[in-house]
Amino acid sequence: MKNILKLPLFSSYEFDSNFYDELFIKNNEVRDIYKTLFKLFSQHSVSEFDQLNNKAKDSFFNLGITFQVYGENEVQERVFPFDLFPRIIDQQEWATIESGVLQRSKALNLFLWDLYHEQKIIKNGIVPLELISSSVNFLSQMKDVNPPEGIYNHISGTDLIKHSDGNYYVLEDNIRCPSGVSYVIGNRTAVKHALFGVFNKYNTQRVVDYGANLLEIMESVKPKGVDNPVCVIITPGVYNSAYYEHTFLAKQMGIDLVEGRDLFVENDFVYKQTIYGPEKVDVIYRRIDDLFIDPLAFRADSVLGVPGLFSAYKKGNVCLVNAPGTGVADDKAIYTYMPEIIKYYLGEDPILNNVHTYHCSRKNELSYVLDNIDKLVVKPVDESGGYGISIGNKLTKEEIKQVQETIKANPRKYIAQPIMSLSTHPTYIEDSESFEPRHVDLRTFTLLGKDKDYVLKGGLTRVALRKGNLVVNSSQGGGSKDTWVLK
Amino acid sequence: MLARVANNLFWMGRYIERSEHLARYLNVNYFSSLDAPTELSQSRQFVLRSIMYMANNEIVDKDIKLKEEDVLYNVGLNPENQYSIIYSFSCAHENAKSSRDLISTELFESLNRINHSIKGYSPEAFVKNGLYDFTSMITQFTSELRSKIQGTLLHDEIHAIIMLGVYLERALQLTRIINSKCSDYSAEEKLYKNKADTNHQWSTLLKCVASYDMMRRFYKKTPTKITTLEFLILNSECPRSIINCLNQIDKNISILAKTQKITKDSPVFLIGKLKAEFEYKLIDEIDDNIESFISNLITKLVTIGEKLEENYFKISDHSSKTKPVAQEQ
Repeated sequence: MKNILKLPLFSSYEFDSNFYDELFIKNNEVRDIYKTLFKLFSQHSVSEFDQLNNKAKDSFFNLGITFQVYGENEVQERVFPFDLFPRIIDQQEWATIESGVLQRSKALNLFLWDLYHEQKIIKNGIVPLELISSSVNFLSQMKDVNPPEGIYNHISGTDLIKHSDGNYYVLEDNIRCPSGVSYVIGNRTAVKHALFGVFNKYNTQRVVDYGANLLEIMESVKPKGVDNPVCVIITPGVYNSAYYEHTFLAKQMGIDLVEGRDLFVENDFVYKQTIYGPEKVDVIYRRIDDLFIDPLAFRADSVLGVPGLFSAYKKGNVCLVNAPGTGVADDKAIYTYMPEIIKYYLGEDPILNNVHTYHCSRKNELSYVLDNIDKLVVKPVDESGGYGISIGNKLTKEEIKQVQETIKANPRKYIAQPIMSLSTHPTYIEDSESFEPRHVDLRTFTLLGKDKDYVLKGGLTRVALRKGNLVVNSSQGGGSKDTWVLK
Repeated sequence: MLARVANNLFWMGRYIERSEHLARYLNVNYFSSLDAPTELSQSRQFVLRSIMYMANNEIVDKDIKLKEEDVLYNVGLNPENQYSIIYSFSCAHENAKSSRDLISTELFESLNRINHSIKGYSPEAFVKNGLYDFTSMITQFTSELRSKIQGTLLHDEIHAIIMLGVYLERALQLTRIINSKCSDYSAEEKLYKNKADTNHQWSTLLKCVASYDMMRRFYKKTPTKITTLEFLILNSECPRSIINCLNQIDKNISILAKTQKITKDSPVFLIGKLKAEFEYKLIDEIDDNIESFISNLITKLVTIGEKLEENYFKISDHSSKTKPVAQEQ
């Protein structure tokens, strides 16, 4: 232990046995899988490492992998916080994750089909009707619409954590427009440049093939009668915070990145406006929310969408990736039924654990939640990006009261879960010029197409940069790490 | 290729080229005036007025005394000014950003890095002692960008569109620089009436467009009005002559027009016609009436730009029927 803490780069590492630390086991011994990597890091002096770190940041800055901060007078560009210490997942552990997230995505797809068709799962009493009827994300316009090849969630992002018991738990499913995959690939490039020597010692799975697989998936869900589908990505535009990702994916796939104004619909077919006139479009990966895709079908004030797009979709003349209306199934209230949903459609037990969830809509569970706010994480069911979450052990008495009142005013809107202890991972903290443990989660990316599925072997490890913080979302000051899955 | 994106790439090419010409004009004019042979050409007011005329087509009133720091800041680093170098480059960057999926990572990375350097350049340092450093940096950067355009992009329609932007802008900037120097020359001639050496204006002009050394090699004589204009307008081997730009525009528009039908107001027809005119032009004809030659040429080049837009870059607004209101992104 002493030896490790003497290393300048680990001088501020405070091991906390309440959490699963991914680098150290008790007594500050380095886990086998990290030994080679740790040796490499420990050879660097603080100033050498600082230099590496700054070079990595520069490369993100020059590549324009940035987001913008709007100040009073000017717009500043900042790089997304990125940490050079990669997370390693061994082959066996990954096999469980991969089969688990694939199982969930498949079950969610069957669930969506059922919800927008016969609703057997409700009729059989597995999922309560009010959960669906009260959901703002249920799109009545999608009822009885058949998406090409029956696929709704072509792209799923599943958020996992590693609890203090060493097991993975699913925190949430994201099947609207999950983002972050470009950082997986950007992080890999940065780590390769900075730590090239160590790659020879770890046999790591590639992540760069995501684009090729996504294109194959998109082409597999082409509308009927089309031989060589024209695929595009639609973006809200350059000011969108995920714009870098949109351009990145378009470039990886070699397809056009369009905005709403580049497309138009005529006789229920979609066209893009090229230098040689209109060209028909068959598959659209849309990075615009449901309600903005078509001002004629949804929000009339949307200037991001394409008038008539939904009508073309309903006719089966164009495929939307993901399908509209998927939000009803990644709702945090539906999440709690995932074990039953998997069992119902696939006849299998869930491979990955769900975090136990209390529904504030149920009377007995509501009273438990109200009495135990300090031990629970309370989340609104329909918010994303980590907003509206209260973490019980961080609240003052006053705040606990406020949370109780908020829940009582609208119980359906809230669920509660035991405070999970996200695992910690060594993260370089510039202020202390040392690695310190920080909480991490893992977002995986799963693709579903016709007779084809794919899970990106790696995913995005998100890290909460503030000490003790559990919220890893980038909108809340989170950073990310490269994730190595070993062969 | 999407029409909107083609438009962005075209303007990216134009703005990169514009930044370079502005930077070189500022640099060469300012520094060559420091030891110019006549009192007029050495005068700060004269050179500042020349810079304003070239950059913004602005004829500054005789009674106004220009402040050197203001002029340099306005042409160099004033982000509010549409004719400044920083404005031009930031437009190049914005245009590249909205078409970055089509250009190479190498090209975008350079553009992005350069944009950061320009934005981070201190205006105080620039007007105090950074004029040479900043303007040389811009000319180096733009040649780096051109080499990435040449060396990392597919030479297909995308490349052709960028090069159309580059050469159309180069032809326009050349014409404006020639115009500006001709006007400096006339002012000096009027004042000194053959009593002083006014030919230095031609050396300055050649340096402004990076063609001085090659012109000397070609004529092996001190540049005069006739030889300079002949070299910069009619010598097709000079990469910075107007005829060379026209040839390049013609070459690139042919890649774009491919099998399209040629009508008499299509850009491919107009450029072909202009090119043919230049092939049989004599320098004496131009010298007789340089002013009308220049205004005529500018009009024709602007028309070609408009026709390009009409033919390739226009997107019709199919959503106008719904009259949507702006939405926060």
